[in-house]
Amino acid sequence: MQIQDMATFEMLAVLLGFLSLALFFGHRKHLKPAIPAALTFLASLAAMAWLILTWGHNFHWQTQAPFLLGVFPLTFEVDGLTRLFLLLLSTLTCAVSVFSPSYISHIAAKTHAGQYWICFWLFIVSMYAVVSSADAITFLVAWELMSLASIALVATDHSHQSVQKSAFIYLGATRVASAFLAGGFLWMHSITGSWTFHDWTFCIESTYIPAFLILIGFCIKSGIWPFHIWLPYAHPSAPASVSAIMSGFMIKVSVYALIRILVFGALNSLWIIAIAFALSVISTFWGVLFALVQNDLKKLLAYSSIENIGLVVMAIALSLYARAHSLPTIADLAIIAAVFHSWNHGLLKCLLFLSAGAVDAQAHTRDLRSLGGLAKRMPWTMAFFFTGSFAICSIPPLNGFSSKWLLYESFFQNILLSPTAIEKGLSLAVICLLSAVGALAIAVFVKAMGVGFLGVARSKSAQRAQEAGVGILVAQAALVILCVASGANSEFVCRLIAQSLTSSGLKVSYTISNGLPTGTVAILLSMLAASIYMIFLKTSKVTKYRTWDCGFGSLTEKTQVSADSFAQPLARIFRPFLRYQNSAKFEGADRRHFPEEVTVETQIISILENRVYLPALALFGGLAKLLSRLQAGSIHLYLLYVCATLCLLLILGMTL
Amino acid sequence: MTALLHWLTFLLSIILLPVLTLGTIRKTKARLQNRIGPPICQPIYDLVKLSRKGETISSTMCGVFRLSSLLAFADILVLAWLTPWLCFKPWAPHSNIFMVVYLFAFARMFTLLGSLDSGSAFGAFSASREATLSLLVEPAVLLALVSLGIFFGSSDLRVIFSHQTNQTFTDSAIWIAAGLAIFFSSLVELSRMPVDDPTTHLELTMIHEAMILEASGRNLALIEFAHALKMSIFFGLASQCFLRAFPQFNTFNVYSQGGLNIVGILGLALFVGLLESLIVKLQWRKVPEFIAYILSLSLIASLAAIGAGVIK
Repeated sequence: MQIQDMATFEMLAVLLGFLSLALFFGHRKHLKPAIPAALTFLASLAAMAWLILTWGHNFHWQTQAPFLLGVFPLTFEVDGLTRLFLLLLSTLTCAVSVFSPSYISHIAAKTHAGQYWICFWLFIVSMYAVVSSADAITFLVAWELMSLASIALVATDHSHQSVQKSAFIYLGATRVASAFLAGGFLWMHSITGSWTFHDWTFCIESTYIPAFLILIGFCIKSGIWPFHIWLPYAHPSAPASVSAIMSGFMIKVSVYALIRILVFGALNSLWIIAIAFALSVISTFWGVLFALVQNDLKKLLAYSSIENIGLVVMAIALSLYARAHSLPTIADLAIIAAVFHSWNHGLLKCLLFLSAGAVDAQAHTRDLRSLGGLAKRMPWTMAFFFTGSFAICSIPPLNGFSSKWLLYESFFQNILLSPTAIEKGLSLAVICLLSAVGALAIAVFVKAMGVGFLGVARSKSAQRAQEAGVGILVAQAALVILCVASGANSEFVCRLIAQSLTSSGLKVSYTISNGLPTGTVAILLSMLAASIYMIFLKTSKVTKYRTWDCGFGSLTEKTQVSADSFAQPLARIFRPFLRYQNSAKFEGADRRHFPEEVTVETQIISILENRVYLPALALFGGLAKLLSRLQAGSIHLYLLYVCATLCLLLILGMTL
Repeated sequence: MTALLHWLTFLLSIILLPVLTLGTIRKTKARLQNRIGPPICQPIYDLVKLSRKGETISSTMCGVFRLSSLLAFADILVLAWLTPWLCFKPWAPHSNIFMVVYLFAFARMFTLLGSLDSGSAFGAFSASREATLSLLVEPAVLLALVSLGIFFGSSDLRVIFSHQTNQTFTDSAIWIAAGLAIFFSSLVELSRMPVDDPTTHLELTMIHEAMILEASGRNLALIEFAHALKMSIFFGLASQCFLRAFPQFNTFNVYSQGGLNIVGILGLALFVGLLESLIVKLQWRKVPEFIAYILSLSLIASLAAIGAGVIK
C-alpha cells in the first residue's frame, strides 16, 4: 500500500515538475544552457544512484485513481533487465548533460532553447517510462511520447529543408512502427485477455501472427534492414546531443522490448525466428557496406548503428532458436551477447556521436571531404574518437570485442552442438560473414579516422578548428573510461548480466569457465608498449622534414587521398550493391585539350529507396488522390453524403 | 631449471627465428638468381644499423605515427606470447581463435593509421589496398582456424595444438587443408608474392612497403621486426599443422618436436623464397580470385570438420 502511495506521489511530482519547468523554460528562446543541463545531470545522477543502491530488488508500481488512462492504471516494473538498460540510459544522459552546455552554445542561433530542453526532458523521461513499463498500454503511451519527442528534437534546426525532410521520414517510420505494435498488442490482448507482458507467451500457433507484427514494429524502430532508411536521415539532422542518445539508447529500447516480450515470452515459431535472423544478417552487412561510402561523419555513424543493431538482433534470434531447440548453453550465451552488445554499443555510439558533434561544432563541417588535420588542433577529441573507433571495430582488449566475441562463441558452440548439418553450415556462414563485416568495419573507421583527423586540413574551416570546450571533453573521457573498464572486466559484466536476467525471470547462467584474458592482454600490451618506448624510442633522435613527395612538389590538401578514393577499391568489389552515379562536365573553348572548368559529381544511389520506397509512396499518393475526389469541397455533395448515409441507416434499421 | 631453459629457448626463438626466416627467404632468392646473396643473419645487421640511425618524420605527422608502430609491435609480441606457434612454449595461456584474429586486426589497424598520418597519397592508397586485402583474407584465416576448432571441439588454440589424436585419414586431411589455408593467407597478410612484391620500390604498385614509406631509423626497425615476427607466427602455426598431419609427430619427445617445428618454419621460408623466384606478382584485379581459392580451401576444411563431427 505504501509503495502504491509513493507511486502516486511520484507521478504527481513528475507531472508538477514538468509543468513548472515547462512554464519556466518553455517560452524562452535564449537560455543559459548550463542551468537545464545541470538539472538534467543531477536528475540522471540521482536515478543512477537509486538504481545502484536498490540493486537486486524488484519493484512494481501501479498508478491510482486520478492517474488512470481511461480505466487502465499505468503499471511500471523495475527488475534486473530493466535496471541494466535504465543504468545505461542514466549514464548516457549524464554524459550528454555534461556535454550539452558548451555544445548548445555553438548551435544557439539555430535552436529555440526552451523548446529544445522541454522536448529533451520529455524524450528522456519517456524512455525511462518505456523501459520500466509492465503492460502494453503503458508501454504504448510512453513509446508514442518517446517517438514524438524525438521527432521534435530531430526537427530542432527546422529552417533547413533537409532537416524537414528527415523529420518527416522519421515521423513516417515511427507511425508505421506504432501501427504494427498496436496491432500486435491488441491481437495478443484478444488471445490472452491481459495487457501485462508477464502473461504473454508465444508458444502456441495462434500467437505467431501477433508476434510477427510486434517483431516488425520493433525492427522498424530499431533500424533493421529494410526499414533502416529513416536512420541515416534522422541521426545527422538532429543535434549531436540528441543523436548520441537516439543512437546510443533509443534504438536499444526496441532491443529491450524484443527481449522483454519475445524472449521472455518464449517465442518458438521457427519461421519468425528465421525472418528475424535473415533481416539481422542483411542489416549487419548492408549497414557496414553503406557506412563505407558515406562522407558525412554522422551518416557514417548512423549506418554503423544499423550494422550493430543487426548484430544484437542476430544474437536475440540465435538465443530464441537455441531455446526452442533446448540448447540452453547457446541460448544463454547469445542472450548475454545481445544485452552486452547493446550496452557496449550504447556507450560507444554515444561517445562517437559526441566526438562527431565536437568536430562539427569546431570545424563547422562534418563532411570528410573538407576535414583532415584535426589531430594537431583537437588532440583530445582525436584520442577519444580513436578509442571509440577501435572499440567499435571490436579490437581487444576494448569492450566492443568482448560482446562480439560472445556472439562468435555462441555461433561456434552452435556448430558443435546443434543437431543438423544445415544449421551447422549456416552458423559457419555467419561466422564467415561476421569476420568480413568486422574487416569492413575496420576499413570504415580507418577512413573516418585517417581522412577526418590525420593529414592536412582540406578546408579553411578545418584549418581554424580549436580544441572543444572542457565539458565536451569530460563527457567523452568518462565514456572512454567506461568502455575500457567494461572491456577489461568483461567476465564480471557477463556474470552481472546473467544474474540480472535470472532475477528478471529468465534462467540464464554464464558457463564459460575460463573467460577471455582481456585484462591480462590489456596490462601486458600497455606494459610492453611503455617499456619499449622508454628503452628504445624515447632516446631516438628525431628530425622533422616534409612528407616524401616523389619529387613532384610539396604536399597540399589536394594531393591527399580523398574519402571516396580511400573506399574505392572496396566499393568496387561490391558493385552490385553500391551503385555510383557519375557525371562529369568539361567547359571552356578548347574543352577537349585545355578545359577551363572541370566538374565531376559522384553520388551513391540508394537502391532500396529508389526502387522500393519511392514507387510504393507514389502508389499510395495516387490512391490518395483518387480518394480525394470524394472530398470535392462542394457543400451540395456533402449534403448528399449525409442524406445517403441517413437513408442507408434507415434501411438497415428496418431490415434488421 | 628446465622451466628456465624453456623460457630462454622461447625468448631466443622470438628474437632469432623472425630474422632467420627473413634471411632464409632472401638467401634462397639470391641463390636461385645465381647470386651469392647476403648472409642469412643479414636482417640482424640491418636492424642493428637501423636502431643506430636517427629518425626523420614528416612535419605533417602527429603522435599517431610513432605510436602506431610501437603499439603494433607490442601487439605482435603479445600475440607471440598468446598463440601456440611454437610447440615448446613454456607457458600456454588461453588463446581464443577469435581473440587472436582480432589482435592481428589491432596491429593492422594501427599500421593503416600510421600510413595515413603523413597525408602522403602513397601511404593512403596502400592503406586502402591493405584494407581491401584484409577484408578478403580475414574470413579465410578465421575459417581455417575455426575448422580446426570444430574438429577438436574447442575454440582454444592451446587445446587444438596439444591434441593427441588417434590419427585417422580425416585428421591428416583437415590438418593439411587448414595448414595450407593458413600458409597461403599468410602470404596475403604479410604482403608477399603473388599479392605484393616486397622488393619492388615502385610506390604505385606496392602495398606494405608504401605504407611504411615514411618510417625510418628505430621506428622502421620496430616495424620490420614486428613484420618478421608476424611472419614466424603464421609460419609456425602452418608448419605445426603440416607436422601434426603425420601420425608419428605425436610420438616424439618435446625436444625433437620443437626442432621439427623450427625446421618447419625455416622450410616454409625456403618454399616462399622458391615461390617468389618462380612466379610473378598478380595483377591487382586478379588478387581477389587468388584469395577466393584460399577461402574455398578453408571452407572445405571447415565443412570436412563439420562432416567428420556429424559422422562421429
